[in-house]
Amino acid sequence: MENIHHKQSFWSKYIFSTDHKTIGTQYMIMGMIMAGVGGYLAYVFRYNLAFPGKSIPFYGMLGPQAYNAFVTIHGMIMVFWVGMPVLLSAFGNYLIPLMIGSDDMAFPTVNMLSFWIFAVSALVLLASFFVPGGAFGGGWTMYPPFSAQGYVNLNPNFFQALFSGTSLLILAVALELVAMLMGGINFLVTTINKRAKGMTAWRIPIIIWFINIAAVIFMFSVGPLVAGAFMLLFDNILGTGFYDPHRGGDPMLWEHLFWFFGHPEVYVLLLPSLGVLAEILPVFSRKPLFAYKTIIYLALASAFLSVLVWAHHQFVAGIDPRMATFFSIGTILISIPFAGIFLAFMATLWGGSIRMKVPMLWAIGFIGLFLVGGLTGLFLGSNTFDIYAHDTYFVVAHFHYTLFPDIFFGFFAAFYYWFPKFSGKELNASLGKLHFWLTFIFFNGVFFLLFFNGLAGQHRRINDYSSFSLISKEPYQTFEQIATVCAIGLMLTQFIFLYNFISSLRKTKKAVKNPWEATTLEWVADSPPPHGNFNPYPEVYRGAYDYSLPDVEDDFTPQNIPKV
Amino acid sequence: MTIFPENVSTYGQDIDNLFWLILVFASIAFVISLFVLLYPLIKYSSKKVKRAEYITGEKRKHFKWITIALLLLLGSDFVILYVEHDTWGTIESVPAKADVHVGIIARQWNWIFVYPGPDGVLGTSDDVYVDEMNSSLHVPVNENIVFELRSQDVIHSFFLANARLKQDALPGRTVMRWFNITKPGKYDISCTQICGILHSKMRNYVLAETLEQYKQFTDSLYNANKPAVSINK
Repeated sequence: MENIHHKQSFWSKYIFSTDHKTIGTQYMIMGMIMAGVGGYLAYVFRYNLAFPGKSIPFYGMLGPQAYNAFVTIHGMIMVFWVGMPVLLSAFGNYLIPLMIGSDDMAFPTVNMLSFWIFAVSALVLLASFFVPGGAFGGGWTMYPPFSAQGYVNLNPNFFQALFSGTSLLILAVALELVAMLMGGINFLVTTINKRAKGMTAWRIPIIIWFINIAAVIFMFSVGPLVAGAFMLLFDNILGTGFYDPHRGGDPMLWEHLFWFFGHPEVYVLLLPSLGVLAEILPVFSRKPLFAYKTIIYLALASAFLSVLVWAHHQFVAGIDPRMATFFSIGTILISIPFAGIFLAFMATLWGGSIRMKVPMLWAIGFIGLFLVGGLTGLFLGSNTFDIYAHDTYFVVAHFHYTLFPDIFFGFFAAFYYWFPKFSGKELNASLGKLHFWLTFIFFNGVFFLLFFNGLAGQHRRINDYSSFSLISKEPYQTFEQIATVCAIGLMLTQFIFLYNFISSLRKTKKAVKNPWEATTLEWVADSPPPHGNFNPYPEVYRGAYDYSLPDVEDDFTPQNIPKV
Repeated sequence: MTIFPENVSTYGQDIDNLFWLILVFASIAFVISLFVLLYPLIKYSSKKVKRAEYITGEKRKHFKWITIALLLLLGSDFVILYVEHDTWGTIESVPAKADVHVGIIARQWNWIFVYPGPDGVLGTSDDVYVDEMNSSLHVPVNENIVFELRSQDVIHSFFLANARLKQDALPGRTVMRWFNITKPGKYDISCTQICGILHSKMRNYVLAETLEQYKQFTDSLYNANKPAVSINK
């Protein structure tokens, strides 16, 4: 392989770049911007929940239609326009070529196109707020017939139905899925074909394994949703009746098509972040990752099981109760391989020499919070208890205790860890610690009390609880206010991070090449890596976790160091 | 402060007990996991331990701890599945002895109640439809109330928190469920599937009353509605 030096214009270097590092950065920045939008939407509806009927600062009065639209789009954004681009596209794009010792992805032009399709999908999504009728307000799950009424309501006018909040949302999701599919293909082909000499399968770092397993799960499960989405779009703009019981359709069909993807999707989101943990814990324990091969087998088992549990979202939907039992068994059992992975991560710490640097704080915080999320999943996986808990705030608290650590703590752990490589600079550690502790405390302040609101019977997606006696009494209204105040605190805390990020980029002091003394190949490249990444390209002689080898003086031996 | 709203149904206590059982297992797992996560940060801090041990986790003597933990988790999983499945069967299938039949129809944005009329049979011409905002479904206490749940338009969901019962209402299908309320009172029905702009306003009640009160209600309802005429407002 040679470094290919070609002259690059502003447009080809920064905008339509085919360099995986630039594309990864573009995805990251887009994800961060969308996180701001999604966070703002949450701020508005959370304020409404704490102080009903009051005008919301930086918004105004929030009516029920807008409330419904905001909770819907908040959820959509966080899953598809923050979680996916940041965890899968940004990490995958940035890290795969570097960590396998390659110059770039297998298909750099497809890669560039995937980002721009993604960017267009975000614009289509945001446009849905500004068309007549506003954004769709039926939950991110988009259940028909409520989500299939465009044709009926707009009586029927093709262009009105097409440029409605509902149709634009479906199109935005479809475009986003196309972008992710293109990325997934790139990841797999690159990892299979472009590894450095000597990097056998069992020498590939876990994060690369996990991102690729996530890509496979994604590609396997997304087809039904794309089909279902087109059917929903056609119901809206062409007057078909795929989900209309009066014409032989069935709303339940959508539920299955959506959740057949929707459940594996949460593992698509989880695996890259688990991969981040798998890279960080050994480095800051100076000890090999515990049971590397077993972890991979457990992840493969989880991936297999993940497509067998989707109807736990439909326990009370009217499915055959015997089928629900099957899904409950699968859901409860899937806790086993994931528990195994987490236990192996924690076992990595025992016997180590632990350096509590900022990336490690985020990694440990991730595990602690995810424990709450995962264990509360046990309650919901029981079909019987789910009769009560379904569609209450217990579910909301559960999935925020899994998704928020996954997406945000995972992102920050990775960001603080790889920033020196990405930029050649160092982030301020004191600000990093402050960012961590405030995020951790505020996050718990928002969501922990909401478990109790859910158990008291508070149902979801309601803008005004004043008519419901179970909830509109104390202490639940106080819990709402605490949650909102903490949510505002959580969002403001992120400005500490932004300040740290931007001011660190402007520092003149350069980071050392391998500040964390890690073994994986990306630390061999310059900081930041140039176009083409390595010169010369490294050769691999060992696994990714040779820390504290008994007969070696250094407490780490990088992958490209030959065995003596 | 109690965690759950008052339970007034025959199967509700089973649901609450299941919660406490799972909570015991989850809490034990949580405490042990937190210890396993946090204790090494102190015991193996780089300030105390200069050189880590080279443990790959491939050896049985190291891995056995994870195997034990996973077997314990598997065991508690099976206990949960065993304990819950009876209650699942009870709630999800209609009891043999059905004392009262009613219809519950969801629409944007109200719950419609269908009383079977003097013949006690749903689906006949003497059925009475009550479609009033915030109305109550009258039922006698200590009787098995079997209902047919339908939707006129979009997906709604019937939630009777004090009975621990929830069931989605999908257009195009009828789902049969049941409850038996053990204490007279007025209990919130809410809609737990977002169904449009007035989803937050779909709030009716189950009014559980003595058999005499119930008969008085149905007598006056049926008298006012001969022959069966829907009183949709």
